[in-house]
Amino acid sequence: MIAQRSLTLSTASPRQRILIVEDDKKMARSLREGFDERGYDVQVASSGEEGFFVVFSFRPDLLVLDLNLPGRGGLEVLRQLREQALDLRILVLTSHNELEERVQGLREGADDYLGKPFAFSELMARVEALLRRGQPTAPSHSLAVADLILDLTLRRAQRSGISLALTDQEFDLLLYLVENRNRAVSREMLARDVWHETSRFTPIDNVIDVQMARLRRKVDEPFETKLLYTVRGVGFSLREPRP
Amino acid sequence: MKRPSSRSIRARLTLWYVAVLALILAVYLGVVFFFQLALLERQMYHDAVQDVETVEALFFFDPSGQLQLQQNYFVHPQNRLLVDRLVEVQNLSGQVLYRSSTLKNLPLDGAQFPSEGTNSFNERTTKLADGSRVFLVSHVHPVEGHPLLIRLGYRLSSLESRMLQFTFVLLLGLPIALIAAAFAGYGIARKALSPLDEMTERAESITSKNLHERLTVENPDDELGRMARVFNHLLGRLERAFAELQRFTADAAHELRTPLASVRTTGELALERNPGADEFRETVSSMLEETIRLNQTIDGLLILARTEARQVGETEELVSLPELVHEILKLLEVVIEERRVSVSEDHDGHPEVPVCADRSFVRAAILNVLHNAIKFSPPGSRLQIAYSSATLESKPAERVCIADSGPGIQAGEHERIFDRFFTSRNPDTQLSSGSGLGLSIAKLAIDRCGGRIFFDKAATEGARCCIDLPVGQCPPEKK
Repeated sequence: MIAQRSLTLSTASPRQRILIVEDDKKMARSLREGFDERGYDVQVASSGEEGFFVVFSFRPDLLVLDLNLPGRGGLEVLRQLREQALDLRILVLTSHNELEERVQGLREGADDYLGKPFAFSELMARVEALLRRGQPTAPSHSLAVADLILDLTLRRAQRSGISLALTDQEFDLLLYLVENRNRAVSREMLARDVWHETSRFTPIDNVIDVQMARLRRKVDEPFETKLLYTVRGVGFSLREPRP
Repeated sequence: MKRPSSRSIRARLTLWYVAVLALILAVYLGVVFFFQLALLERQMYHDAVQDVETVEALFFFDPSGQLQLQQNYFVHPQNRLLVDRLVEVQNLSGQVLYRSSTLKNLPLDGAQFPSEGTNSFNERTTKLADGSRVFLVSHVHPVEGHPLLIRLGYRLSSLESRMLQFTFVLLLGLPIALIAAAFAGYGIARKALSPLDEMTERAESITSKNLHERLTVENPDDELGRMARVFNHLLGRLERAFAELQRFTADAAHELRTPLASVRTTGELALERNPGADEFRETVSSMLEETIRLNQTIDGLLILARTEARQVGETEELVSLPELVHEILKLLEVVIEERRVSVSEDHDGHPEVPVCADRSFVRAAILNVLHNAIKFSPPGSRLQIAYSSATLESKPAERVCIADSGPGIQAGEHERIFDRFFTSRNPDTQLSSGSGLGLSIAKLAIDRCGGRIFFDKAATEGARCCIDLPVGQCPPEKK
């Protein structure tokens, strides 16, 4: 059966609902607050059984599911939910970053996977990507933030009409930052998604920092409005200037 | 202490041994029985023929025309089986002329068959009317010009009883032999398997506390000795794994305590002082930085543990060192440019030979070493990468050396620099020290590939790190 979504006639999109199934109270509270602030409708369940029932009363669009739950384990909840064939995106969290568990989680029907500890900004990025999935998006050939325009076809960038001479690597980095605008991206995310560095213990933080510094010189320094920021202890962020 | 398995092996061995022996003995007894029977029958025939020849000469017709046997002759046959001679004489027309009293008027094999006894001594076995079995020899012999058929026989009862006795003796010997063999076999099996009992007891007493203990190997070349050796190797591997686990736990506990304490202190102080928003931001940022470091440490430790646990040889392939170095240089390009470090490669006319190793391991190691070298290189300095041949345990190897112009390695730290969480006393390098795991990971990765990594003590200016990797045949399917 497919969950029926209520259609609102207003132009504002209805608040999307997120259910968090997490037994660690502190973690659940932090997640709840984080999602609340970003305008989601959030509920929390602290066990697999509870989560299973809340899914049917609350009808969330997305489920953030901790795999290491007491009682009915996360994998089992995942399996049973998938048997119900609900229109529900599921992102699983686990502290076992073992490939086997990850593969098993994805095989059991999780849409995405995040290992603890994670950066909240990364969780947000994944959640937004999952909620966007399945929604028609107009095919775009360019992205714009303030006066920065990225041409995705020609792989060129310009600010205030001035073309920026970017290397391939710099363009990829800028594109990633633009796609994740207004959100801090960690060095870990950059290493994985931009540098495609799979091994987690390769020291490329230095490389990332230098590359960021160079990008800043080209994208920010010649212009009055700054777009690139360093978020200490988290990573980097490309923010739209506040009007 | 019950040990059913060893006992049952012993019992099973004995049982098999006895069963096979019983089969062999049964066949042997059968052969002996029939051989003895044939021998006795041959003997009887031979004696009977001689007896017939003797008896033939003793027949005569008395005046009344009756056929008589000279009674003054007593046969003393050598064969004790021939004690009751049965004699019947017929003329060729089948009329019975004489019957010995032993026959008690019973016919001896009835009517003649054609040409019976004419050519030689006919032998056969027949039955009397009273049911007793008789061995019979017939022969035609002229007595005083009359050709007569003389039949001479012996009851087989004595032969049969003798064979029965013989069989009885044989069968009585069989179980005695088998019981003796069973005892002997069981004893031998027990003696042969006794080291197994000792090993079992020893193995049962080995726990995680005394993993260093080993089974005693009495004879390393026999089956049990080989098993003990294999078991000892297993214990060795387990001991190493245990030691690694303990080391990991100790390292983790020690290394994680410090940043955790720092996070805690920072947080407590912030709450006590009730700072403003900016200061709070500063506090949280510093706490986050510390958690990132914590995370990197845990990741590093886990990678070390996983690298240690990984089986060698499962992902080996042919790797070109210069190609791999180029790939890493490309990755580090921006840092190299930023520090204005000039990289030179020296092949010295050395032809490139691929090494057989786990590519991801070698990559992690070279990346760590190169990254360090660039990190410690003064701006504008040179970084030299040299390729050459080397030997590893007298086998050919390829060597790549990375020499920087940085502060170098302090005396006495050339070995310890690969230790986990080692931080140099050198004030020039302390500031740029990372998690203290990079070189440990590099060393472990190279060790797992059967290679060697070391810092050249002869390097006068800067540090010179060399990696030797064996040149070898990779399994063809893994190329």
